[in-house]
Amino acid sequence: MTMLQSLKNFVRSKSIHVAYVDVGSCNGCDIEVLACLAPRYDIEQYGIFVHNNPREADVLLVIGAYTPGWEEKLKGLWEKIPDPKAAIAIGNCPISGCLFARPHTLVDPPVAKHIPIAVQVPGCPPRPTEILSAILSVAPTVFKDYEVRK
Amino acid sequence: MPLSLVYYAKEFLRGEWARKFLAAKTAPLEIPPYFRNYPELTGKTCTHHLFCMMACPAPGAIDVISTPEGWKPRIHIGHCIRCGLCVEACPNGVLSSGRILESMFYDNTRLSFSFRIDVDQTKCMGCGNCAVACPVNKLIDAQMSHGGRASTDDLLLKVSEGKCKVLHVEKCTGCKTCEHHCPNEAIRVARLLEAVHAPEEDI
Repeated sequence: MTMLQSLKNFVRSKSIHVAYVDVGSCNGCDIEVLACLAPRYDIEQYGIFVHNNPREADVLLVIGAYTPGWEEKLKGLWEKIPDPKAAIAIGNCPISGCLFARPHTLVDPPVAKHIPIAVQVPGCPPRPTEILSAILSVAPTVFKDYEVRK
Repeated sequence: MPLSLVYYAKEFLRGEWARKFLAAKTAPLEIPPYFRNYPELTGKTCTHHLFCMMACPAPGAIDVISTPEGWKPRIHIGHCIRCGLCVEACPNGVLSSGRILESMFYDNTRLSFSFRIDVDQTKCMGCGNCAVACPVNKLIDAQMSHGGRASTDDLLLKVSEGKCKVLHVEKCTGCKTCEHHCPNEAIRVARLLEAVHAPEEDI
């Protein structure tokens, strides 16, 4: 990797575009993601920009326990994201199903069965701090050897 | 004009100003010490009452395993919802999380468990599976016959006159073994969890 490429990748890792998708949660984790955008945590000062367009995103935040309505949709959404990309599971629901993982429920956790998950943030809900540090920790590895891989 | 240029240069070329301008501005991301995080072991001896597992609302979040040092509760991250009920329910203070133990001490509150056994007399066939399976009965009368009949009245459950009778409900430990062994779903164990203020007996 040349000097210029590594410099470009460093700059890229300082401007992460994030899309979030709720695949059937109780909205608790959505509110914690919303708190990241608010001035108290202010996600944009770390160079993270949240908008819900998967075609522009680098990082996908997956929230929720995967209800049947998301079959085939989540996979398509993941394929729309251009390389390099990473998915972060926010909360217990995408990891284990949390309180919904009981007999005779329709949810189908974990989400890692359906799309590759890079980072898991446990908690019901996780603190905005934990969500932020997860995004910041995944940012350098997403772009690390991007142009070489390509 | 030159003077103001010097002034601006002095103001903006300071290292600390440039660092503050370019880097993140809020305080470093820290979890405050009072945050009710995942329960941690305090090192006190677990007596295997399993109240933590009974109080836990999340499936598969806590279990108590046998180790060479004795029983130990184990928290499963990814299942645990950090509600702190296991910390409050434990009679020995084996777990701690945030300020729960301190506030329980100052407020003198505790979660107490009690159990109620309901036998549906129309469904009960008097087979005695519940009385034979009951681990409390086994400690009191190890020679109980297969029909659940016994001569002593100290038992928790007993079959008399062809029906299951609950004799001493206060001896129940809430394990629900009787419920799992009933072929007819006639016996039900209810776990009652109540928050008690200023309990009479102390820990």
